[in-house]
Amino acid sequence: MKEKENEEINEEIKKLVIARIDAQVSSNLRLSIGSHGSLSKEEMIERVKKGDEIGKKIIKSHLTFMRSLANGEITKALVSIE
Amino acid sequence: MKEIMIITLPNSDLVTEYLSQFSKLVIEIAEKRSIIVKKLKGKDLSKKEFEKVLKNVQSNFVFLNGHGSETKIFGNKDEPILVEGENDYLLAEKITYARSCDAGYSLGKSIVKLGKETCFIGYDLPFEFYYDINWIGNPLRDKIAFLFFDPSNLIPLSILKGNTSSEADKKSKNALLKNINKVIKEKSPEAFTIASSLWNNYSGQIVLGNKNAKLNL
Repeated sequence: MKEKENEEINEEIKKLVIARIDAQVSSNLRLSIGSHGSLSKEEMIERVKKGDEIGKKIIKSHLTFMRSLANGEITKALVSIE
Repeated sequence: MKEIMIITLPNSDLVTEYLSQFSKLVIEIAEKRSIIVKKLKGKDLSKKEFEKVLKNVQSNFVFLNGHGSETKIFGNKDEPILVEGENDYLLAEKITYARSCDAGYSLGKSIVKLGKETCFIGYDLPFEFYYDINWIGNPLRDKIAFLFFDPSNLIPLSILKGNTSSEADKKSKNALLKNINKVIKEKSPEAFTIASSLWNNYSGQIVLGNKNAKLNL
């Protein structure tokens, strides 16, 4: 049951990250992440859908940002700018 | 005695080309400050040549650009030039900045065990950046890529100014935060996705070993 829940959560997270990429990455942008060259918006979405190593890295990057934004970590850091 | 910076400049793909192009800004300032720059690029960017230079050139600062993993840093294509447990001893008692993915996770930790003055600055996450394909012929004019490379360049530039490794890290992280603030305020469609990657670099940037390490300029 727990495994099934995790799978469902993962699919939801994937959908969320894909929606962010789809809405926010313009066609002229490429992302360099890891040792896999650079990725277009479509390639990023494909990797996230597949959930391969690079897809997981993209998901982690987006999730870390969203969590840090939600828990106030980013706001706290921005306030500390010298 | 003049200080020497050893720098690797791979360009076997677009990603490494960007790393090397943005390193030009550091080299330019280093040379203006009369620091000798030993550049490893093209056919000289091999493991053999890297080891030879590290053994023979009396340098206290090594700036590595290139693809990386938790245990390796690469030169051109798939050739690793620095491998944990194999030739990382060559970086003992030096300050190393590795603009490479993930190398802080294990390789950096291995390096700083080799001497109490040793310092490793790098990333325990992937070093991420976005770039605009309209500027691939002239990366230095790519304003999107600049948001990522300007803060990372502050690490070697601060070290070359005589700042400590922790001061260099702080200046770089401060610049990353300023850029996050800037892109969020601009409210462009891509603001949050660019900010995500800037925050990733902020979160993953680490200083290991001697946090007070600096060059005696």
